Amino acid sequence: MEAVHELVVRMEKITKIYPNGIAANRDVDFSVRKGEIHALIGENGAGKSTLMKILFGLEQPTDGAIYLNDERVNLSSPLEAISKGIGMVHQHFMLVPSLTVAENIVLGMAPKKGGLFIDYKEAVRLTREYSEKYNLFVEPDARVADIAVGMKQKVEILKALVRGAHVLILDEPTAVLTTQETVELFQELKNLREQGFTIIFISHKLKEIKELTDRITIMRAGRSVGVYDTDSITEQEISRLMVGRDVVLKMDKPEAVPGEHVLRVEDLHYVNEWGKKMLDGVSFSVRQGEIVGIAGVEGNGQRELVDILFGLKLPDSGDATVDGQSLIGLPQAQIRTLGVSYVPEDRMTFGIAQTANIQENMVSDRYRQKKFNKGPLFKMKSLNDESDRLIVDYAVLCKSRAQEVGMLSGGNIQKVVVAREFSSDPILIIADQPTRGIDVGATELIRNRLVDLSRAGAAVLLVSADLNEVMELSDNLIVMYNGQIAGYFDDGQWDDLMMGEYMLGLKRQSDDEIRRACHA
Amino acid sequence: MFEQLIQSIFQADFLFIIIRITAPILFAALAAVISEKAGVANIGLEGMMMITALFGFLFAYWTQSWIIGVLGAMFVGILLGLMMGFFSFKLKTDIILSGIAVNMLGAGGTIFLLNMFTGLRGNTGALVSPNILIPTIDIPLIDKIPILGEILSGHAILTYLAFIFVFLMRIFLYRTPLGLKIRAVGENPNAASSVGVSVIKMKYIAIAMSGALAGLGGAFMSMYYSQGWNQGMVAGRGFIALAAQAMGRGEPVGAMFSSLLFGLAQAMKTKVSGLRGMASYNYLIEMIPYVVTIVGLVFYAMSIKRKARKHQLRPIK
Amino acid sequence: MRDKRMVLFGFVRGAAAIALALAVGAIFIFLSSDEPFTALRYLLIGPFVSYHGGVTAFNTQNFYQVLAAMIPTIFTGLAVCVMFSANQFNLAAESCVLVGGFVGSLIGIYVNMTTGWHAVVCVLVASVVCGLIMLIPSVLKVKLGASEMVTSLMLNFVLLYIVLHFLNYHFADRSKGATMTFPFLESAKIPSIVPGNSKLTWGFVIAIIVSLLVWIFMYRTRWGYAIRMIGINESFSLYSGMNVGGTIILSSVIGGLLSGMGGSLEVLGRYNTFVWRELPGYGWTGVTIAILAKNNPGAVPLAAFFLAYLNKGCQLMSTHSDVPSEMIDIIQAAIFLFFAAEQFLSGFRQKLVVKTTREELMRTESLTATEGE
Repeated sequence: MEAVHELVVRMEKITKIYPNGIAANRDVDFSVRKGEIHALIGENGAGKSTLMKILFGLEQPTDGAIYLNDERVNLSSPLEAISKGIGMVHQHFMLVPSLTVAENIVLGMAPKKGGLFIDYKEAVRLTREYSEKYNLFVEPDARVADIAVGMKQKVEILKALVRGAHVLILDEPTAVLTTQETVELFQELKNLREQGFTIIFISHKLKEIKELTDRITIMRAGRSVGVYDTDSITEQEISRLMVGRDVVLKMDKPEAVPGEHVLRVEDLHYVNEWGKKMLDGVSFSVRQGEIVGIAGVEGNGQRELVDILFGLKLPDSGDATVDGQSLIGLPQAQIRTLGVSYVPEDRMTFGIAQTANIQENMVSDRYRQKKFNKGPLFKMKSLNDESDRLIVDYAVLCKSRAQEVGMLSGGNIQKVVVAREFSSDPILIIADQPTRGIDVGATELIRNRLVDLSRAGAAVLLVSADLNEVMELSDNLIVMYNGQIAGYFDDGQWDDLMMGEYMLGLKRQSDDEIRRACHA
Repeated sequence: MFEQLIQSIFQADFLFIIIRITAPILFAALAAVISEKAGVANIGLEGMMMITALFGFLFAYWTQSWIIGVLGAMFVGILLGLMMGFFSFKLKTDIILSGIAVNMLGAGGTIFLLNMFTGLRGNTGALVSPNILIPTIDIPLIDKIPILGEILSGHAILTYLAFIFVFLMRIFLYRTPLGLKIRAVGENPNAASSVGVSVIKMKYIAIAMSGALAGLGGAFMSMYYSQGWNQGMVAGRGFIALAAQAMGRGEPVGAMFSSLLFGLAQAMKTKVSGLRGMASYNYLIEMIPYVVTIVGLVFYAMSIKRKARKHQLRPIK
Repeated sequence: MRDKRMVLFGFVRGAAAIALALAVGAIFIFLSSDEPFTALRYLLIGPFVSYHGGVTAFNTQNFYQVLAAMIPTIFTGLAVCVMFSANQFNLAAESCVLVGGFVGSLIGIYVNMTTGWHAVVCVLVASVVCGLIMLIPSVLKVKLGASEMVTSLMLNFVLLYIVLHFLNYHFADRSKGATMTFPFLESAKIPSIVPGNSKLTWGFVIAIIVSLLVWIFMYRTRWGYAIRMIGINESFSLYSGMNVGGTIILSSVIGGLLSGMGGSLEVLGRYNTFVWRELPGYGWTGVTIAILAKNNPGAVPLAAFFLAYLNKGCQLMSTHSDVPSEMIDIIQAAIFLFFAAEQFLSGFRQKLVVKTTREELMRTESLTATEGE
């Protein structure tokens, strides 16, 4: 069978070891047929992005070979990949905000007039031509800073097409799109397939993959675990191959016994710097002893909500209180004094100081406490004991407390963060994507601890893009859509189909139902 | 005393002096603008000017041609820029530290090099002759206009060039493909590299241009302004230029206006210290441009801060 | 395993950087000198070895002079360490040394006090004044976001001219030909610890003790800890609830205190009157020292010794050969560039990492394999 199909891309035994020692790809084989939409799927950290970065020349493989149309190639830079017909649409848009759409599209290959100057009219014409030819509507003269996300994505696709790409890599393209935009995108992609383009589609969303793609390569822990025709494999099977076991077991957690209100969020409104309404009247509460989960497609206001709760943004109106005290406008030090702890989404930027050691990272919120200081000096023994205790408690795999945190694996880094945040006797824990991109062992440990803490009386607000995670862990569940609460569920009776409908804005509860989230 | 000051300021020669003093700062400020546009903070401008001033003068002396001197200064500036680039882009030395290293070379290295090439110490006074200095030109027609002619005509060629470069730089940045690429690299390097624009190459080009402009500034100092090279000649102009770039919002025209402001401060200094009764304040007067720079920077920072408002509580990386 | 290899790699890299920088220096010597070998000999071993009629001997006086030269640079090195640790590119240590020397001198001339206390008061007041000066760039940075680098550079000039103004028009000894102050009172001078003319004063002992104290401050106190964490990752520190602004200001003020202390100890130990008429350059040397010491105060005396040695070597070289002493700036710039180059020898490092990771993977795999059985 294989021989019948023309392979446009063939990657053999690709291994990639990063300078920090992380082995992102190990002996990966990957190939794509001409004219197909090929899904590349795997959990966060499975190595999909690295593999595609290698194909696009952004990273060099430590080992392995790449063939394009059966010709061995060395892709040392994106320029080379582009010249060989590969285009990539990144998850985070690669656009220059202050330039216009047309300028972004011709960047690096601008048409000239007089041999010296940019022929801007020609750039606009070119943009229009491609835009019409492939049915991807954009406004050539608009500044990229001012256009909507969906249009930005089209600009990205056009950028690749204008450069002669016939293989398009799309890295989680739907993560940032509205439902309508996703529908449009799929239409456009199918249209491109008909015109002979080959598309590699990276995604987490099984339904999209089933709907759109022809074949699937599944990755797990840096390796490829199989290639399948999309029609011949069920979502269940994909999911099992991805996580390496049958769909995650229901967690056995004791019944929640909610106590007093800890966090109250009242009618928050927030408009971002580009004038988009990100929070539009959000109210809910979290009580002692319960886990309230927030589900939703990323970009529906969760980020802004968390930022406001931890003092990183100021809302336009509304209030948030912990034990009756408003958090709005407080510095982080005071928010922490109120008993709030926080597991940040971006752990490398906000959770740790990479070149500091494990101990230093574990005590960053408590180093001023009396028990760690004697006069002006640290009590090194207390600090050592504290960090050694946490290392054991949270099973951080390391040589010693003096090891540099940046040298640990992702899961162990997150254990360091969590050990610190969970061990400060918090009355409220805000956990933002607490298990994103980390291994199964660390994930389980973190989830169990979260449940333990809540059962011991802490209020937990869990924000996660991992639907399984929110559904399993939450006692009560909020779905956010478009800056509002679209649904509130407190009966434990939910499944992903139902969630999907609320997350994608197909359904919305009545205002009265939603008001139950305040537990008033 | 104050009247004297007012009188001397409202004279054509005062404006002439401002323009003359502004020119080297402007070259350096444009050097700062171009590198900053590519996202490269060039704090080595001070040292670059010292070194290029020396080599410009030496080339001119060896060939007895001011043109070769100026070109030589630009060439050395480009080499220095590429050296900084090599260490910072290739070997990943912090760009600030590469800048400091160039400034070290500018401070002591120049004295060593001068000695190595000529056997002289500290300055080139002994080598100066009129034919190796940058000539001044009278602009036809304009030089006949009263007052305006006095202000605008009779400057060194490089002085005019500095102001012409402001507009050339603007056109370069906004109307040429290379300018577009450089701005893209400075604003979003990932975007640039994703379409195959080599970020490193653009940064090299920008810092080399920065070096060339610093070279013009250096040549202006040793081959016109100070009439010969000496150790304390650049006197912080490279650093002032950084402030001018920042105050001018990183745009060529903005940098020109802030450079003029610093030119004004320095011209005031020369005027005021020439006045009777002010002699014993000469050091405090010399301090003025630097104080102005700090004040200017503070106002600039305040205006930025006001714009940031509520959204940027999240620390910016 | 990985850590041990990396530590070793760090040493190799540092040594290679210094060797390369010296090689650059040697190239310039060969280019410029008629007697390059004499020049090189004085540069490299001149500071400690003296020749008298074919007899080589350890040169004690030169050795003391090298140690004496470390006094101001240890302090500026420490100052820069503390400020760079907080990721503050504050370069005003340069002028704080000058101001510290000047303020210390004035108190040493015009205030009458008992021996013993006088010098202490001079140094302390000088330190405090410089600490307060550092509030300018740091507060502007924290409150307004004004680049501390540019303000501190400008401040260097401002302070220079202020000192020159007061020196020339208020405190000059008119009876002297050159501009200088009246002589210091004996009670204000820092006494020598060795006989002879080497100027090796108690300032050296204080410098070593202060290095130790600064190390303790940075690694054993909550303030030092906060400074280091903020320097590594400001966002992380903010999220952890640290007072980022206050800590940045603190680090700069300490930088000022240390520079002022160094300036006053140097001036009161080395001279009889205040004679500096330009910026002494110790601030920039301090930057090089901090880079060599990788911001570790404990390593500062070592780095300062190395540079003082080189500097002395350059001086001897210029005395005994035709190579000017400013050679030091070229060597220093080269050291600076190579030492601070993160990617210097990075290919070698990457190979080490790959090798180590492969070994670790194999080990864990064989482990899981045995477990599975």
